[in-house]
Amino acid sequence: MRTVRKAALVVLLAVLAAGCGSRVATRTQLPAAPHPALSLSTALATSAAAWATIPMGAPAGANLFWELFRMPAGGTRWALATPPDVATNGALVLTTRGGQTLVAGVRPSLHLIFSPVTGTSDGGKTWTSSPPQAGLANSPDALAVGPAGQLLALGSNGQADVNRPGSSGWARLTSARALAASTAGRACRLMALSAASYTPAGDPLLGGRCARPGVAGIFAYRGGSWQAAGPVLPGALAGQAHQVLRLTTAGGGNLALLQVGREAGGSLVAAWTVNSGKRWMLSPPLALNGAHPVSTAFSHNGAVAVTLSGGHAETITGATAQWQVLPALPAGRALTLAFPPGGGLDALAAAGSELTVWRLGSRPDAWVKAQAMKVPIQYGSSS
Amino acid sequence: MPGMNSGLNPNDPTVVAAFKSALIHQGIIALLIFALLSLAWVSVREWSAATGAEAGRLARPAEPEPRWRQLLRIGFGILWIFDGVLQAQPAMAVGLPSQVIEPTAASSPAWVQHLVNWAGTTWSYHPIQAGAAAVWIQAGIGIWLLVAARGPLSRLAGLASAGWGLIVWVFGESFGGIFAPGLTWLFGAPGAAALYCVAGILVALPQRPEVSARLRRWMLPAIGLFLIGMAVLQAWPGRGFWQGSFRGQPGTLAGMVQSMAVTSQPSALSALVSSFGSLVRAYGFAVNLVAVTVMALAGVIFLTRRPRLVRPAVIALTAFSLADWVLVEDLGFFGGLGTDPNSMIPTALLVIAGYLALTSAPAAAEATAEPATPMASPPSAGWRERLKPTALRQSAAGSSARTMASVGAIGVIILGAAPMAAAQASPQASTILAQSIAGSAAPLDAPAAPFSLIDQHAKPVSLAGLSGRAVLLTFLDPVCVTDCPLEAQEVRQAGALLGAQARHVALVAINLNPAYNSPGYLQAFDRQERLTQVPNWHYLTGSPDQLRQVYRRYGVASQTLPAGSMLGHSDVAFVIDRDGRMRAELDFDPGPGTAATKSSWAAVLAGAVSKVLKQP
Repeated sequence: MRTVRKAALVVLLAVLAAGCGSRVATRTQLPAAPHPALSLSTALATSAAAWATIPMGAPAGANLFWELFRMPAGGTRWALATPPDVATNGALVLTTRGGQTLVAGVRPSLHLIFSPVTGTSDGGKTWTSSPPQAGLANSPDALAVGPAGQLLALGSNGQADVNRPGSSGWARLTSARALAASTAGRACRLMALSAASYTPAGDPLLGGRCARPGVAGIFAYRGGSWQAAGPVLPGALAGQAHQVLRLTTAGGGNLALLQVGREAGGSLVAAWTVNSGKRWMLSPPLALNGAHPVSTAFSHNGAVAVTLSGGHAETITGATAQWQVLPALPAGRALTLAFPPGGGLDALAAAGSELTVWRLGSRPDAWVKAQAMKVPIQYGSSS
Repeated sequence: MPGMNSGLNPNDPTVVAAFKSALIHQGIIALLIFALLSLAWVSVREWSAATGAEAGRLARPAEPEPRWRQLLRIGFGILWIFDGVLQAQPAMAVGLPSQVIEPTAASSPAWVQHLVNWAGTTWSYHPIQAGAAAVWIQAGIGIWLLVAARGPLSRLAGLASAGWGLIVWVFGESFGGIFAPGLTWLFGAPGAAALYCVAGILVALPQRPEVSARLRRWMLPAIGLFLIGMAVLQAWPGRGFWQGSFRGQPGTLAGMVQSMAVTSQPSALSALVSSFGSLVRAYGFAVNLVAVTVMALAGVIFLTRRPRLVRPAVIALTAFSLADWVLVEDLGFFGGLGTDPNSMIPTALLVIAGYLALTSAPAAAEATAEPATPMASPPSAGWRERLKPTALRQSAAGSSARTMASVGAIGVIILGAAPMAAAQASPQASTILAQSIAGSAAPLDAPAAPFSLIDQHAKPVSLAGLSGRAVLLTFLDPVCVTDCPLEAQEVRQAGALLGAQARHVALVAINLNPAYNSPGYLQAFDRQERLTQVPNWHYLTGSPDQLRQVYRRYGVASQTLPAGSMLGHSDVAFVIDRDGRMRAELDFDPGPGTAATKSSWAAVLAGAVSKVLKQP
């Protein structure tokens, strides 16, 4: 009997020991999927040229390079115009003040933790560096250039800094925290900043996300204080939270792209300033139906194109127009839409070192291959 | 895991050559140790006839060593020597952290990885010394176990085996993977080094009758209990051992076997293991059933301690272990940088030793007190007496050849451990890492080309103005994303290493990117690399024309590359003496930029500057 008891004890101990060493399947709660950030793949245009930036090379890491392409007015082909002598692994943030002028900020990557800034005023033939920024935010509107050449940058630390022409550095304008504490910020319960721009008069503009429904988080810095400058949303949209996805200049005024409501049931609204910025005009809402915006492009006269998850795309030419569904987007690991200066719409699709341009011109119901280009990416140059 | 390895190729020719050279030199010293000891021993015996008589009087007939202990001592002695030989593989010096330690720890919890990372970093900082230490410590322990049959020296050998086995088990095997998922006895659990540890402890036990009696009673049942636990673990549902394949993927055991089959090894063995992998994939349930049954049955039989049952169980388990060693563990030491023949041979040795302990009759000799060590002076003598020259001579003359060989083996262990301990005293990595990346510094003696630029604060700085100080000169791109930040860190560390000498040294970098030439970029770079508080740091810039002129004078390349690439540039450093003469040029490619290589580069730079400072 004693032997039996001992044997049972031994088996019990062995089972316990084995149980301690074994992996027990557990039911864990997965975190909610984060809202995908708007891609920095984007295009902008002036009357003199269109510019587009898109990631190429490897999908991620040291062999991913963001390339800049330019098409001049009167041209039909895109050409590589990536600023030289700086690694673009971290992405390019573009801004323009018309004509041939473009300013590009480089987001930090690898061992580089600040943002080099460079600009061209001759269509990319020569580039001149501006003072380095502390680290641009992951937003296509993290950099803005004003009418006098002044720069406004939104940093990944939530600070907004300005660089005036001739100045050797950046000066603090405000921060998300400070703006949230202002009267205008409190009115919308500002949560975060997401975009920077200038009014045609040269006043800094900042856009963000508000917790209070019905208030668009756009603020202008006038007379030494921050003032609410966003549009008032009508009807059903007024009861929903808003987020400024894009805030830029186009067509002689400002242009904003707002996401209204929760992602799944939300919608997009484009807004244009008129009457010297005194009033906003809104597009009809574009129901997202569970999709989310991926990349955006603007024309020099204020047309907007948006690609959505699932390979859909929509475009709108102005406040009085309707959103137009575009044909199914061509394949490509990365893709951005762009408005060529001569009209129409291009889709730039990148896969590795290959860039393919698809054009929506003579046939509005189908993308036609217009150009193919092999980009001389220097793999390993950032490794 | 940060810092775990140096990032170098395990077959890096510079390190491999240095490792071989260290092993040859230390091997010669090891032979000399044995030769000198033999010579001294023979001489003392010949010269001291009286002592010889004394020795003869002191020496007592040695008691017979129990067979189980003899098996463990000799078996594990041979295993340690074999492991030492495996440690001498050329790629081991650089490869052990990245190819052995890191993959082993990868599936363990974070705290295990953290602990193991410390050891891996230590090894990666001093790969030659660490690699050689592992060779000689293991060879020394093996020789010691083989030659020291009885007495305190033999027990000490067991203790050394247990101690080193513990170190290998924790840091080399990540606790044998016992904290990682997928633990199975078939694949080496609880780690071969843990078994070396157990064997070492058994050898180290005092050879008293009551200890022998307890071992007879408990050794094999303890193994039985362990086997039952492993059988339960093997049979535990949900661990994937019962399935040969699952959703088109190999099951746990089949996956393990197939992963071994693809490693580099003789083709016949690969084919054999591969075939067994296919068998497991096809009949996973049956194979696991056999394994669980053998383990459980053997375990239960061992618990009974009935020799009539135990004998066939030992034979069966030994045969099963050998089959597992070949078919599942793939002999353990193939496939890259094998460090030991895995767990099945040690397991078989322990099982057979347990059987021998169980079946051996209590020896009459064991009833007597433990025999006096042949080295010992009369028991009544204190340690002061024993250390007197006369006593030492008598002791040496009275010692057996085995004792002298044991002392030689201890010398071999010290031969390996001492350089590693000395290397550990320096926080800097061995300079061999930097030399393997970029070779040795080229000595020069010519006037350095002058330059006159502005620094990060827009103040003018010229080489002539730095006269009286040695200059460590580099060329850095402030918007570089890879090499230049690493190089800046190495220069900063070199400055810190120079200590008080640093006040006679200027750490100078010249902006290598004319497109980003404003002092603001240099300041941003300084903030990024924590150089703002380094008083002798001067980061210089100028107009593009001024900068290009300096590049030409120093033969430094700066080339625009297309499509979003950073500037293509040279990685070079110069050492200029106090009189403005160029004394050394170093290829300054920072390599993989790990903590070890950065530290190594810092040591090389500091050494080059220090050498120039000492020149008249």
